Amino acid sequence: MSAAAPSAQLSAFAPRVRIRRGASVAFMVAALLAIAISMIMLGALIVEIAVDGAARLFTDGGAVDREARGGGIISDLPTPAGMGWMTWAVPVAILFPFVGPRLVNALVPGLPRLAERAMGFIVVAPAAIFVHILYVRFESAYFVEYAKAVGIDGASGNIFQVLGEASGFQIVRLLLAGILVPLAIFAAGWFWSHRMRKPSLIIPAIMIAGWVVYLFMDPWFLSSFPSRKPAEAGIFSAVTGTLYMMVITAAVAFPLGVGAAIYLEEYARRNWFSRMIQVNISNLAGVPSIIYGLLGLQVFVRVLEFERSVLAGACTMALLVMPIIIVSAQEALRTVPPSMREAAYAVGATRWQVIRFHVLPYAFGGMLTGNILAMSRAIGETAPLIAIGALTFIAFLADSPTDDFTVLPIQIFNWVARPQSGFHEIAASAIIVLMVILLLMNAAAIIMRQRTRTDW
Amino acid sequence: MARNFFTLMRSSAPGATAAAEPDRATAPPPPPNVKQDDAGGGVHLDPTLAAVRHEITEAVDMALQLRNVSAFYGTFQAIDRMTMPIPQNRVTALIGPSGCGKSTLLRCFNRMNDLIPGARMEGEIEFEGRNLLDPNIDAVEVRRRIGMVFQKPNPFPKSIYENVAFGARINGYSGDMDRLVEDALRRAALWDEVKDELDKSGLALSGGQQQRLCIARAIAVQPEIILMDEPASALDPVATLKIEDLMRELAEHYTIVVVTHNMQQAGRVSDYTAFLLAGEERVGRLVEFGPTQEIFTNPLDQRTEDYITGRYG
Ligand SMILES: Nc1ncnc2c1ncn2[C@@H]1O[C@H](COP(=O)(O)OP(=O)(O)OP(=O)(O)O)[C@@H](O)[C@H]1O
Ligand SMILES: [Mg+2]
Repeated sequence: MSAAAPSAQLSAFAPRVRIRRGASVAFMVAALLAIAISMIMLGALIVEIAVDGAARLFTDGGAVDREARGGGIISDLPTPAGMGWMTWAVPVAILFPFVGPRLVNALVPGLPRLAERAMGFIVVAPAAIFVHILYVRFESAYFVEYAKAVGIDGASGNIFQVLGEASGFQIVRLLLAGILVPLAIFAAGWFWSHRMRKPSLIIPAIMIAGWVVYLFMDPWFLSSFPSRKPAEAGIFSAVTGTLYMMVITAAVAFPLGVGAAIYLEEYARRNWFSRMIQVNISNLAGVPSIIYGLLGLQVFVRVLEFERSVLAGACTMALLVMPIIIVSAQEALRTVPPSMREAAYAVGATRWQVIRFHVLPYAFGGMLTGNILAMSRAIGETAPLIAIGALTFIAFLADSPTDDFTVLPIQIFNWVARPQSGFHEIAASAIIVLMVILLLMNAAAIIMRQRTRTDW
Repeated sequence: MARNFFTLMRSSAPGATAAAEPDRATAPPPPPNVKQDDAGGGVHLDPTLAAVRHEITEAVDMALQLRNVSAFYGTFQAIDRMTMPIPQNRVTALIGPSGCGKSTLLRCFNRMNDLIPGARMEGEIEFEGRNLLDPNIDAVEVRRRIGMVFQKPNPFPKSIYENVAFGARINGYSGDMDRLVEDALRRAALWDEVKDELDKSGLALSGGQQQRLCIARAIAVQPEIILMDEPASALDPVATLKIEDLMRELAEHYTIVVVTHNMQQAGRVSDYTAFLLAGEERVGRLVEFGPTQEIFTNPLDQRTEDYITGRYG
């Protein structure tokens, strides 16, 4: 390039009018398209899992005994919920960060990177949907048989018919699953585009590993409801109850907690009011959890009339872990050195742009770590849930967020308290499951902290 | 208009010669015992404001015109009523002992002090006919047009490309970003070293490269003025020389204000020099301003001479 070229180029920038900030229209359109496509895929996912959920619901509260299910052999089980989306999520997660943006770049060079990524999603989606259709084809023959066996009238393989029977909360549940999966995919893409190759491979790897584990593990204990006979009792309702509650807890507590931390660290003036809030947050972290249970009982169960529901439990848990999340998010924000903020301000960034493009990305790993640790505290909490009246014998899946529910620790507590030794054994099994979940969460937190650490 | 030719009269030192300028003829000479500030009507009897301002002999526009600029941190006054111009497309050096308010003054120019709780500025900094210190002026816009390079290199922990592109992107630049990044890196004399690894993290560069990356980042938003706060103090002599060469080249297109503790550096790179000094009460004041040549060869204030020759603190 000649020496004169740079200045010609730079002067193209020169009009000294106030330049429009924010995303360009083209990018908005691309992003909306991507969202639309993923919503369509989500729809397929919803239908898919709704079929499963409905089928399970219609098995009369898990009354199908082991003989009728063929002794718990995996191939005789109904299509496992979650397997369906894996068939398309895995190819998307693998293909999207690798192929999508490059394909788009080859087709239409010169797009902004974000648009490239968004369009990459669109390009890859058909491949994923194709895999999905193959999967449905493969499974539907079996599904018809199963539906007949469990008594869904006129089951013909038309999954839309079954969807009509699915309840509201099932849809919500599926939506949550549908949000988590695209999020995981996005995370994979994000790590990839930030040159963090290993994490971007870990996410699809986890999906594949989960699938493999599901194939080889006897899922009977995990997929059975509690029973009066230890041999038939399982932790299906406890695990799902725990997962529902955790998802709702995180969905409530993380945005609120991070928002509060951002406000306190980035926006609040240092005056007596913000100091008072700060001190009280620290105090709240030390309040015994049973007190939160009583608070939840009064506020969520009685005043707001959530009843003894998943929602009431999750809201109570969210209150319980909020101080932890806020404090850890504040610490994460404080690790971003002032020189980074100054550097961003010095090129004309607004306060929000500084937070959005610099402070939050650099602090996000730390925030996520804090959130996971807070969740791993919540997952083992028993007292507040007993206070708000979570039940111990739940022979059905929560049908709406206002349904009764149970969680793993309560189930374990219940079994341990029984005289029969058979229950003690399955309590031990349940404890192992709880421990595995906890260890996985803490491992995820440690990995996340290692991966996202920046040496300034 | 303020951006026309400036004539600054040396007001206190004896034996100075005032060149005849066209519009000087109409103005009556100030009384010898009264210090006349060019802030229009600002007549001070305060002897501490008796800054020596050498005459600017060349025809040059003024990028900034400071009038009675004071800055406070809470109740502590860091700089007191400084009045001087910043000539356009020239390198102006701010020199003075530690704590005399050089950084504070520099951070007034792009309203960086706004970010410090309790910091406050008074007076006027005229920039294209407007007062930069006016609270109605959008500080974000000011910072886009008056860029800054910091003492410690502070690249973002992102790729080299992203480091340079960030400012242009948030300001809505819609041209060819690759070209812009390349041009900025070329101007910062960094392109040849990094052109094959634009995806590498900015933090993976050496200190000198990082500082040039920061300069490229400042250039990429196409500012009019670039402020540099001791840009070479963390660098070895070779990297320092590179930065100095760079400043000289950049002065063709940009106005540069640089803080430095290195007298040789100030002498080498700057066209104009301002000497600041804080007295007993730690309030920084302007002592002498003028062409670097004059300040270094013919300082009119004893304190300037002492400082330059290394006899001062
Ligand atoms: N954020 C701040 N809050 C309170 N006082 C400050 C702040 N920053 C600087 N000061 C004070 O203002 C005065 C001028 O500081 P400044 O940083 O401008 O000095 P300087 O000339 O740049 O010194 P150096 O050459 O050491 O960088 C000093 O007395 C300093 O203590
Ligand atoms: Mg300084």
